[in-house]
Amino acid sequence: MASIDEVKINVEKGKPKWVPDLVQKALDEGNKAGDILDVMVAGMGVVGERFSSGQIFVPEMLMAAKAMAKGVEVLKPHMADHASASLGICVIGTVKGDLHDIGKNLVAMMVESAGFTMVDLGVDVPVEKFIEAIKNNKDVKLVACSGLLTTTKPMMKNTVNTLKTSGLSGFKILVGGAPVTQEFADEIGADAYAEDAGSAAIKAKELVMAI
Amino acid sequence: MIIIGEKINGTIPSVSKAIETRDEAFIKNLAVTQAEAGATFIDVCASTDVSIELEIMKWLIDLVQEVTDTPIAIDSPDIRICVKSMEYCKKPGLINSVSMEGDKIDVVFPAIADTKWECAALLCDDTGIPRDGEKRLKVFADIMERAKTFNIEPSCLHIDPLVEMLCTSEGGINTILEVIREIKRQYPAIHVTGGASNISFNLPVRKFVNQAFLVLAMGAGMDSAIINPLHKHMMGLIYATEALKGEDECCMDFIGGYRKGLYGKVQFGD
Repeated sequence: MASIDEVKINVEKGKPKWVPDLVQKALDEGNKAGDILDVMVAGMGVVGERFSSGQIFVPEMLMAAKAMAKGVEVLKPHMADHASASLGICVIGTVKGDLHDIGKNLVAMMVESAGFTMVDLGVDVPVEKFIEAIKNNKDVKLVACSGLLTTTKPMMKNTVNTLKTSGLSGFKILVGGAPVTQEFADEIGADAYAEDAGSAAIKAKELVMAI
Repeated sequence: MIIIGEKINGTIPSVSKAIETRDEAFIKNLAVTQAEAGATFIDVCASTDVSIELEIMKWLIDLVQEVTDTPIAIDSPDIRICVKSMEYCKKPGLINSVSMEGDKIDVVFPAIADTKWECAALLCDDTGIPRDGEKRLKVFADIMERAKTFNIEPSCLHIDPLVEMLCTSEGGINTILEVIREIKRQYPAIHVTGGASNISFNLPVRKFVNQAFLVLAMGAGMDSAIINPLHKHMMGLIYATEALKGEDECCMDFIGGYRKGLYGKVQFGD
């Protein structure tokens, strides 16, 4: 098997110890850094699908992301045009009044693995902070809002509304979290809803491709 | 966790019969199933008449090695049989076991010095099993002194603190847990081992006692055990306990054991 195929398989299997060497081997065999990155992103896509369909557990997804991150470290010096290879910036945060970050972190990890550069604002994020981040970062293509509490649903609505009417443009809004549904996302005017971290990565890509 | 699979032992009636009738398939099956169930070593104990013990050991070891690469734990009360059996093993295994009794250590330690062989050592001496923890630690100190003399690394030793039955013990297993902690404090790289079934002797529903013991002993630092790896519930508890102790990054070993079916049939999400 070619090393580049082994890179993909070992990202899928979550083997952070093996991926860096395999990436190096794939480079030595003459593969382009961008192509190696592509197979890792594709591998994470498989991982996201498996997670969404309940075939794998959270730690297995975490290990896959770790494996990819280790591989990217090896690739970085070979990717002069790394920035242009990115799908753009994704600003992510848990909305104001909500301190939950586990789901948000999983989404950040998977969206990053899909090829985005992440700006993570953390938890309890007021809408002003989202706006500031969009202004301060060039090329923000996606804003992802998370919330676990039913009591923060109004704040999510407020956040989406404010962003949509702020006059800022060029980005899409993705929402998610336990109490959030597709209906709610539609109702508050978000561009998309994602049920879990795996589908968030898929949705994120779809949204940005459509811009 | 280091699992020493205990099933090939001539004291078990079905194994004794298989030895008598030279039932190769029976022995091979015990070796394969234990290896597949996650055994780190396959214990081999002939427990026959002394006159044929060495011959039977060779027969057993050969059969095990025909079907698995899992290293052997050579188990005999006669330490000279253990040392002689070493040459039948294709790769370094474990000697089960020495103690400060008689000249056991003086026979075994020179034989395993400068090799990758490991060795179980029981905390007893010519006076028997010491009653209290302090005396066991004294025996432990004596063993370590001998180990130093022969240049045996602590990481090659599996110390068995000798668990006594719960039904007659006073104060439960607190003494043993303290001994385990002290051993690991002195030598972090050393292994602490033991059987998980003596503890429950003469009690009903022994499995509960055995399993609770194993979890508590692992909590104190036990990292090796002589058990039946086909006992799926016990294996699940061992993997879960390791994860709870923070010794299993991202619970990947625990999940891996589940995927390999080491814990038996469980539904995803159970």
